[in-house]
Amino acid sequence: MTVLEALNAAMAHEMARDDRVVILGEDVGTAGGIFRVTQGLQQRFGPKRVIDTPLDEKGIAAHAVGMALYGLKPIAEIQFSGFIHDAFEQLMFGASKYRWATGGQYSVPMVVRAPSFGGIKGGFWHSQSPEAYYVHGGGMKIVAPSTPRDAYGLLLAAIRDPDPTLVLEPVPLYRALRDEVADDGTALPIGEACLVREGADVTVVTYGPLRHDVVAVADEMAAARGIEVEVIDLRSLMPFDVDGIVGSVRRTGRLVVVHEAPLSLGFGAELAATVQQVAFGYLHCPIERVAGHDLPYGFAGGDEYYRPNRARIGAAITRAVEFSF
Amino acid sequence: MPTETPPAQFLGDPRPAVPPPLDRARELGIHQVLDIEGRPRGDLPDPDLPPATLHRMYRTMVLVRAIDERGWRLQRSGRMEFWIPSRGQEAAHVGSAMAMDADDWIFLADREPGAMLLRGASLQSLFAQFFGRAGEPLKGRRLPLLLGDRALNIVPCMTQVGAYIPHAAGAAWAAKLRGDGTRFIVYFGDGATSRGEFHSAMNFAGIHRPPIIFFCQNNGWAVSTPTDRQTASASFAEKGEAYAVDNLRVDGNDPLAVYAVTRQARERAGERGASLIEAVTYRLGFHTSSDNPDLYRLPAEVAAWERWDPIPRLRRYLEDKGLWSPADEEELVAQCQAEIEGAVAAAEAMPPPEPGGQFDDVLAAPTWRLEEQRARLLADLDGGG
Ligand SMILES: Cc1ncc(C[n+]2csc(CCOP(=O)(O)OP(=O)(O)O)c2C)c(N)n1
Repeated sequence: MTVLEALNAAMAHEMARDDRVVILGEDVGTAGGIFRVTQGLQQRFGPKRVIDTPLDEKGIAAHAVGMALYGLKPIAEIQFSGFIHDAFEQLMFGASKYRWATGGQYSVPMVVRAPSFGGIKGGFWHSQSPEAYYVHGGGMKIVAPSTPRDAYGLLLAAIRDPDPTLVLEPVPLYRALRDEVADDGTALPIGEACLVREGADVTVVTYGPLRHDVVAVADEMAAARGIEVEVIDLRSLMPFDVDGIVGSVRRTGRLVVVHEAPLSLGFGAELAATVQQVAFGYLHCPIERVAGHDLPYGFAGGDEYYRPNRARIGAAITRAVEFSF
Repeated sequence: MPTETPPAQFLGDPRPAVPPPLDRARELGIHQVLDIEGRPRGDLPDPDLPPATLHRMYRTMVLVRAIDERGWRLQRSGRMEFWIPSRGQEAAHVGSAMAMDADDWIFLADREPGAMLLRGASLQSLFAQFFGRAGEPLKGRRLPLLLGDRALNIVPCMTQVGAYIPHAAGAAWAAKLRGDGTRFIVYFGDGATSRGEFHSAMNFAGIHRPPIIFFCQNNGWAVSTPTDRQTASASFAEKGEAYAVDNLRVDGNDPLAVYAVTRQARERAGERGASLIEAVTYRLGFHTSSDNPDLYRLPAEVAAWERWDPIPRLRRYLEDKGLWSPADEEELVAQCQAEIEGAVAAAEAMPPPEPGGQFDDVLAAPTWRLEEQRARLLADLDGGG
């Protein structure tokens, strides 16, 4: 299966199993979404369960909140995460606050699927990594799968989770990867990172489509220079797998964080702060961060020079490995 | 309307006070059962509610007024942090909440304590909420008057004005998709109609027809902003037209008219879907305890609205029907006082929330990070370590 097929299979599996699951969003029904992630689902489950909505992101998110309050398990598709900002208040002050604000009486078990990340020559609005905004308030989980198997397992987990979950889908990987995925309804636990590649010299923590670039750089460095890079794909950002990261850093003594979102207050800032707090004595060098720049993502050049590329990832790993006081 | 020199602090527009639209109700298409004297001479027929229902309506309105007056004094004397007055809006919310069935869902704004009373909330639990006590249904987390209780099918307001309107509509839509007969009502003010979510909810509702009543309490003001600075439309109800949502204006200070139109909208909800009801009423009190209306509105305007006070109006109707006497009134007032004093004393004595409790209910199960923060807070409060 491709990532896209895996996401589709996860939704179909859960819709067949649980009649409370509904999908709503722009063009998700007849057309199966602009990326075709929901293709065939309306034909199979009917227009009461796969609902085409008006073009209104806050309206989609807000109605999903209400559906979830009543006991449905809505999956809201935001056509592109560049347009999710209109729904920000709904997600941060609606979906993710009801449980707390009602003393635990109401909950909002909804999923927001947001096609995210750059690498598709999409320009600013079609290349967004909005995760940092959503880790800041509490009450919402965030996952970012980057393989077909993870996409299947994490979307299933998100649908079954009792709390609102934001799924950042890797647009550039939708059709680019193929994996054996058993469509057997097995969810992946939210909050567990994946140790993608073992290595003793330096730990690189990443998430989203860049995981594959990081692995490519690691393979090159091992072959060319004998540097052994350990690669961890976070997969879940909220909550994140602190033990997995810290355990690795205690072995390697060096940490590089790679993500597409802008550097300043990006998720890497949180990882760096957490790691220096709990593994201070193990660090042999400053924590390196490779991130998007604090500027808009250009149409021409954005994929190459805004988004971390292999050269920048390699350079940061080299800085970490060669650092001396 | 008497002309009047504005108060010394007045900073509002130099224009005459706006007379209550209720003075021209017929001309403005505002439905009524009662005239200003409480006589059933409006355009709508008297719904002829049974005496027990009328008594319940009147008693609840009087109790709401008494709670409001007591809460205001508690706030002014420093025993309570904050207050959101409901004075003048008793008929609008009591009349409409009574028109809903006991299992229907209510999404509250913040000036409808009567809805809680009608569903059986105790006075003590209300005052515990006002005092921010741990033992109230929302665990003391919300500002006074942001009331709710799942056991009563009442969802509390999410504070962002208007942002919760589509939550109610989404829940109603879900009930419809499930084939349940549950009906919904959501309260909001005139200011809320300027928010995008109001329009989202109306737009979706026109298409998908969820069984919900959008109940707009047009109380003349949104803090210091009068309705003609909120919209240039002739009414808030007519905004429903653009979305093909049934809509009407009702005298919000006429509990019988409010009851009748809400009941009718409820009964049609299964087939017609949503309705938008604009209840034309007036905020006789301050916006909140932090407000000073003398800065922006004229006492003459308030005085003109006092004539339309819904409580004496309903009382006269009851008296004319031989259903109420001065002795009943005296007894009710004394009973309200006594019950409120008992509830205040009991609620004030309840403990506030424990500091560690705020970490509960962020998620179904706390993350490692929340547990870490809770442990750190408790250890630091304990003197470090
Ligand atoms: C989105 C938002 N903006 C501003 C506020 C601050 N605020 C609280 S109540 C209020 C006025 C609301 O007016 P209206 O909807 O007419 O209701 P009313 O208070 O008159 O009952 C404002 C501006 C808020 N709570 N939420």
